[in-house]
Amino acid sequence: MEGNPVGLIDLSLEVEEGQIFGLVGPNGSGKTTTLKLLLGLVFPTSGSGEIFGYPLGTLTYKQRIGFVPEGPYFYDHLNAVELLRFYGSLFGMGGAELESRIEYLLKLVGMWQRRDRKVLDYSRGMLQRIALAQGLINDPDLLLADEPTSGLDPIGAIQIREVLMRLRDEGKTIFLCSHLLKEMEPLCDRVAILNQGVVCHEGSMEELLTGEDGRYVATFRDLDQVALQHLRVLAERVDSEGDQYVAAFSDQQSATAAASEMIDKGAQLIKISPQRLTLEEVFIEAVGGIPE
Amino acid sequence: MRLRWTHRIVILILAVGLVRGSIPLREHIRYQRLVLGIKQPMPLTKIVDFDPTALSGVMIGAVLGGFREVAAAMMWAKVHTLWNQGEGTWFDCLHVMRSTTLLDPHWIEPWRVTAWHMAYNLYVETDDPKLRANLLDRAIAALKEGISWNPEEVELFIELAWTYFDKLDDYEQAAKWFRATLHMPHPAYIDRMIAHGYEKLPDIPKALDWYDYCLKRDPNDNIARGATLTIRERYLPAWRLLEAGDYDGALALIDQYLEVEPEGTIALHLRAHILEEAGRLDEAFDGWQRSADAMALDDLARRKVAELGTVLGKDVALVPTQVLRRESPEQMSPAPVFKEEKK
Amino acid sequence: MSAIWRIAKATFHEALRRRFLNGILIFGILIIGSSWTFTYLQPGAELKMLVDIGLGAIRFFGMLIAIFVGVRLIPDEIEKQTIHTLLAKPVTRAQFLLGKFLGGVATVFTNVALMGLAFVIVYMVKAPQLRELAPDEGPGISMVFMAPNIGKAIGLTCFELLILAAIAVVASTIFSWVMASIFSFFIYFVGQMADFLRELASPEHGADTASTIVFGVLYRILPHFEIFDIRESILKDNFVPWSLLGNVAGQAIIWVVVVLMIGYLCFNEREV
Repeated sequence: MEGNPVGLIDLSLEVEEGQIFGLVGPNGSGKTTTLKLLLGLVFPTSGSGEIFGYPLGTLTYKQRIGFVPEGPYFYDHLNAVELLRFYGSLFGMGGAELESRIEYLLKLVGMWQRRDRKVLDYSRGMLQRIALAQGLINDPDLLLADEPTSGLDPIGAIQIREVLMRLRDEGKTIFLCSHLLKEMEPLCDRVAILNQGVVCHEGSMEELLTGEDGRYVATFRDLDQVALQHLRVLAERVDSEGDQYVAAFSDQQSATAAASEMIDKGAQLIKISPQRLTLEEVFIEAVGGIPE
Repeated sequence: MRLRWTHRIVILILAVGLVRGSIPLREHIRYQRLVLGIKQPMPLTKIVDFDPTALSGVMIGAVLGGFREVAAAMMWAKVHTLWNQGEGTWFDCLHVMRSTTLLDPHWIEPWRVTAWHMAYNLYVETDDPKLRANLLDRAIAALKEGISWNPEEVELFIELAWTYFDKLDDYEQAAKWFRATLHMPHPAYIDRMIAHGYEKLPDIPKALDWYDYCLKRDPNDNIARGATLTIRERYLPAWRLLEAGDYDGALALIDQYLEVEPEGTIALHLRAHILEEAGRLDEAFDGWQRSADAMALDDLARRKVAELGTVLGKDVALVPTQVLRRESPEQMSPAPVFKEEKK
Repeated sequence: MSAIWRIAKATFHEALRRRFLNGILIFGILIIGSSWTFTYLQPGAELKMLVDIGLGAIRFFGMLIAIFVGVRLIPDEIEKQTIHTLLAKPVTRAQFLLGKFLGGVATVFTNVALMGLAFVIVYMVKAPQLRELAPDEGPGISMVFMAPNIGKAIGLTCFELLILAAIAVVASTIFSWVMASIFSFFIYFVGQMADFLRELASPEHGADTASTIVFGVLYRILPHFEIFDIRESILKDNFVPWSLLGNVAGQAIIWVVVVLMIGYLCFNEREV
């Protein structure tokens, strides 16, 4: 499209307290821009926003938020303790309170043993851990995180997810941006899918994955070839999972009718339930499929 | 958070107000620097004297980097190079010399040499009185400018006084600039130069006063003592008769001495001066001509011949000092006023 | 205030570790340390040459450091995105700008102090020897006020570099750091010729009206860097009154405040 690139178009989001909100989208969809808007680093061409009731960019709410950047850089002549001390001091923290907070956070993110090494010597994953620690230095009520598990090994990523869930359970609000859908699926309470600056889907995770079109799946066992052939005719799709077969139907009625026929043919019905998509499937459908 | 437009305008107005409000302070600083004599080298009016072709890239870097003195030294080295190429490059030398003084006005040597180069080397390259006068004028101006930058450097005062003494025979101006060195440490001969200048003018009483000053300063100054004795014996009696109006008596005394020493410069000058005072201008003209013929380097006599000749309507060539007096009168002592002949 | 101080401190520690700047400092100290070897170029004026080169080197290398520190302070933060984590904290853009500026200034002053120390050492060793080479006739260089004058000259250089650093920092909020460097150098050199501008702005010099206006505006808005040069007084060994120093320092502070105000206006609009 010719002309000035547009970062976001008519973005409108509402995030409630005490939940993990995920903003997902492909690269360049506007996730980081959204975060920067919330932090007052860039300015909207029109419209407004509030955090904790304060307009965007106000200093007041920044006392209560934390930010975890993607691919973080820090002053590389400092070590982990000095870095957190620096950031903590910007909140007016100091003394024993700050020191104990630093120790707690470094242990939380698994960096306590390496606290004396300079940031210059940190790996990508270590930097990400430190990024989370500095984002939590002020015990924020709202944490804004951009790809918080980026650069981490699988175990590290799981540890970080556990931290985030614990924070949610403590009543914190977390606003996550990521393109790692498999990680976001078990983590987020609500999700918005962003594509080319436009929010194309938004809702609770449950609503998104359940879908609105009423599709059902039925699971069978002990199907002979004849029954299986007949099932393939009745269902939109049949997948085998070990000794079981999962058949998808457009509605509950079709699923029930097919189940009845299969039972008559001697198959064992395991269950009938609404079809549950993966976030990845929802995402692909939302962004218009996989480009060729 | 973004500033409101009103806040932006207020800040801008404040900034402009601060700039505007600081102007009196800036002018006061300028005034203070003027009073303290802190000047910047190479003012705009002098930029026309600067020879940019003499600047190499290295010098430009040195100038811009604040190492003007090093750039000046490099430029002075270029003067040496041009000098060694011979007389054909002497005018090129002059431009580079002048540029050096602009780069580092506190370096005395370039001022001295620039003035000397004009007053002596380039002076003999031409016979045109106008061009010679111009060279002398510029030499004097250069030395005076050097003195303005370095008011405590006795070398420049001496050079200027000597230029007046030797090239212009303006002993009044020479005495003035020699006297300016008296409050600074200076060579002993300077005091005697003042006296000697007055001797040659001639102004015998002033010459004696200055030799007396030399003796008070240094009772062992045998040169001053010898000069004092000579003046008292040879010239003072005639001078006293001159002051009394007995011109013939004064002439008779001087002629007695000239029989013994027919080419004595001071005696010849005194004789011609007596004739001037008597108003016998034609004879005075001949007297000065005699002195000029006796001593090839007697430029004072030559100047007097030209001045008297002009007054008497004779066919005489102008000398550079006449041109200079006419075109830059502030550089010279006032022109002599010749008396009418007393009948 | 605490945020400004903390950012300044972090900036200072980071800037001191930059190899490029340390290289300039070392080169400057080498030049100052060997300044007495250049004195042979002006026989009879060796002490003048020593003082001129020493103070000139402090000014020149201080200028390089002020500009190259200043133009990188903010662009580096934006480039490395460390500014995001900082501005996400309760730190205003004004505090950030001021903190970075003060940290940069501390770096410049530290470097100037080190060069000044090197010069003082050279001066204390060499000046008495070179004084002996001055001619007997004439004052040569008297040294009654020289030592305090040198201290005052270095102090004035610090104020001069304060303005230059402010210009460099502010320019970097508008341009790239390369353009900001060129702009800062340009302002510095034109600012040395304020007297020129004053004369050019005067109708007596025959310039057309448009040129007169342009030069007049430049004269009024540009900092006059030549007021920080008291070389004449040093060479004449005149006492430099504290009132002049105070006035010049006051003028410098005004310029810094004005430049930073403009910088704040620009930086506040900048998206990072």
